[in-house]
Amino acid sequence: MAELHIIGQIIGAGGFPQNSLFCKWGVHTGGAWRLLSGLKEGQTQVDIPQTGDMAYWSHPIDLHYATKGLQGWPKLHFQVWHQDSFGRCQLYGYGYCHVPSSPGHHRISCVTWRPLGSWQEQLAQMFVGGGPQLRSPDLIYSGADRYRLHTEAMGTVELELGIIMRHFDKYGVES
Amino acid sequence: MADSWNTDTGEAVYRSRDAVKNLRIRVRIEKVTSTAVLSQHLQQQVLSQQDRGDIELETLTSGGDNEEELVVGWQEKLFSQYEMELFQSEAACQTPLDRQYHTEVKALNKSKGRRNHRIFTYTDHDRYTSCLPFHQLQHSTDLLTSTKSSPTFLAERMASVRHRRQDRRTMDCSIPKSKIVNWEPTEEFVKGSHVVNNAMQTMHIMGDLAPPGRLGQKDNEYLLVTIKTDGSGTVIIKPDFNKGKEPYRIVTAGEKREVWRLTVENVCTAMQPEEQEREQNMYKDLYVRHKEYLNSLVGQDFEMPPAGILRYLMNGEIVSAKGFEYDNLYIHFFMELPNNWSSLPFQSLSGVTQTCRAKTLGKENVAFFSYPFSFEAFYMSEKESEESVLQWPVIYFKVLSLDSWQRYRTEGYGYLLFPATPGKHTITCHTWRPLQTGTGSALRRFFIGGSPELEDHSYVRIPGTFKGERLSRFGFCTETTGSVTFNLHCLQQARAFVDATMLKKRRQKVFDQLGGFSQQGAVCTILEAFQRARRKMHEARESLPRDLVNTTSQLQIESSA
Repeated sequence: MAELHIIGQIIGAGGFPQNSLFCKWGVHTGGAWRLLSGLKEGQTQVDIPQTGDMAYWSHPIDLHYATKGLQGWPKLHFQVWHQDSFGRCQLYGYGYCHVPSSPGHHRISCVTWRPLGSWQEQLAQMFVGGGPQLRSPDLIYSGADRYRLHTEAMGTVELELGIIMRHFDKYGVES
Repeated sequence: MADSWNTDTGEAVYRSRDAVKNLRIRVRIEKVTSTAVLSQHLQQQVLSQQDRGDIELETLTSGGDNEEELVVGWQEKLFSQYEMELFQSEAACQTPLDRQYHTEVKALNKSKGRRNHRIFTYTDHDRYTSCLPFHQLQHSTDLLTSTKSSPTFLAERMASVRHRRQDRRTMDCSIPKSKIVNWEPTEEFVKGSHVVNNAMQTMHIMGDLAPPGRLGQKDNEYLLVTIKTDGSGTVIIKPDFNKGKEPYRIVTAGEKREVWRLTVENVCTAMQPEEQEREQNMYKDLYVRHKEYLNSLVGQDFEMPPAGILRYLMNGEIVSAKGFEYDNLYIHFFMELPNNWSSLPFQSLSGVTQTCRAKTLGKENVAFFSYPFSFEAFYMSEKESEESVLQWPVIYFKVLSLDSWQRYRTEGYGYLLFPATPGKHTITCHTWRPLQTGTGSALRRFFIGGSPELEDHSYVRIPGTFKGERLSRFGFCTETTGSVTFNLHCLQQARAFVDATMLKKRRQKVFDQLGGFSQQGAVCTILEAFQRARRKMHEARESLPRDLVNTTSQLQIESSA
């Protein structure tokens, strides 16, 4: 039985059209993984930067996993949302990335994209906001249905993670 | 005779796993007066002349009001003369703590009185504990030599900051979810909420160093010892224990500058060795039980590949594509496994990303895919085949664009070789697309869409049909297009790595000592050979049919019986 510690923070996000942003994040693992301690999903606060483009959250991630196998390595998913001055929330992007598998300190930039609708919906989105969202974000992990989506590129989520692996070398894993 | 004293009055930090309520400190103060000096001198003389048989002089003890020795426990409240007088009257009591002190003082007055005289304490609960630094700020020596320096704004604010007590640590409880922000804080609220959350409990041992007969005035209180602890076993004592060295010196301010000597000693009772052993056994038990609990959650085993097989696991994502001619890009990729490589049957070896409209970042148009994929392959090492170098799998991909008018164009072809070393890799692959000379194909590509495609994707790297020594692509026209970025995290697992790491660890110890051939090295090699033989025997045993194993075990039992 090997253990994995993921300790780090979601620093913030930048490169989006507007910058009053918050993020919903979560970690998805395979069946052989067991979460021993820590919260595996959460939502950051809304950050409205006064200068500059990047919204900073500094949201902590502290997870301790135990696993019986290498399959189903943890993956992070993000949903970046925008809250405007009227309090309306609008989806700004989905992002997916793997948790690194080598021990040490990693600085990760996870890029995000947003689904696009028809041109009428895009016009409406420009004025009123809103826009299509995925019915179930978990479908992305199977990968088979992605080709049906038409998306546009949005900003980037920055995070830094420290990875500590225990007992993996006892089972002959090199990382 | 010069009076020597200890000038090192810095803090000392001690760590202990014991409960802090077992702390006991003996504090001794004595005034340096002429009689004290004289009596010391006489005592020394008497001691050195004892063999002469003279009459023993009873030395002049300077005792009474000029010295005191006291054993103080943790947070033990000892009242000063001033406090005794203050708390005698009920009218002075404002807080419940004051009222409690009032009852204690009354009880003390009824019984034999307090056991301390000059030395008293301020515990963590007293209101003087937090304002002591401010008090000292005004009276103690300043940091600078200039006489007229008043404390700065920051110093004043820090002195009035309340040190939050340990038990009121609001770590992860009772933070009200609704009203987190107070939009109009009052001055009281601001002062009360700016706490230093280092969760230290403080205790001051003070001495009333007034001339005899004039005790009970606040001006003559001097700080003798400060003890601070936090909840996790750190004890900070300022000044440190004397430990047999010279005592500290306190000079009183005022018209008569008197000198007092301060000695601090640690008189905590030491733990019995049996108790220590019992405590250590308890800790060991606790850790073992926690480990067993963790094991029970997941299980002891870990999935290993069969012997002689390398498992290569790659978790990656296609991050982005940039620098392409048209918009609405998607990537179609597949993996190719060379000889000796295999994968599981349900493993999907190809994929298509979503179609992404690019945005302008800097000078280029970039499309974000953020497409995670996971790939697992097995390599079976054949025996002693010298000719074939280890070939790693390859991902071939092509970038295509499909716009709203259903025009479909190829934008580029590329390949990515799996990295040989495990770890994190960020790889940017450049792509090209085949060109047909002549304006016809360019016009067709622009208006209708449709461009030449490769029939055999592996042509990008080394065509599958290639046999020979030199690969020639002469005559093939291409145009450089953009680049695609991949993030790869690679893991490799094999049974052979288990032995390798053990070997590395053992070897390190050997090289530390002598290096090369040594007795330990020889012992290590013998051990390794034994392990290998044992493993071979196990494997051989597993492959034997069942009944053969049973008969051999029966034979063994009979022979031993």
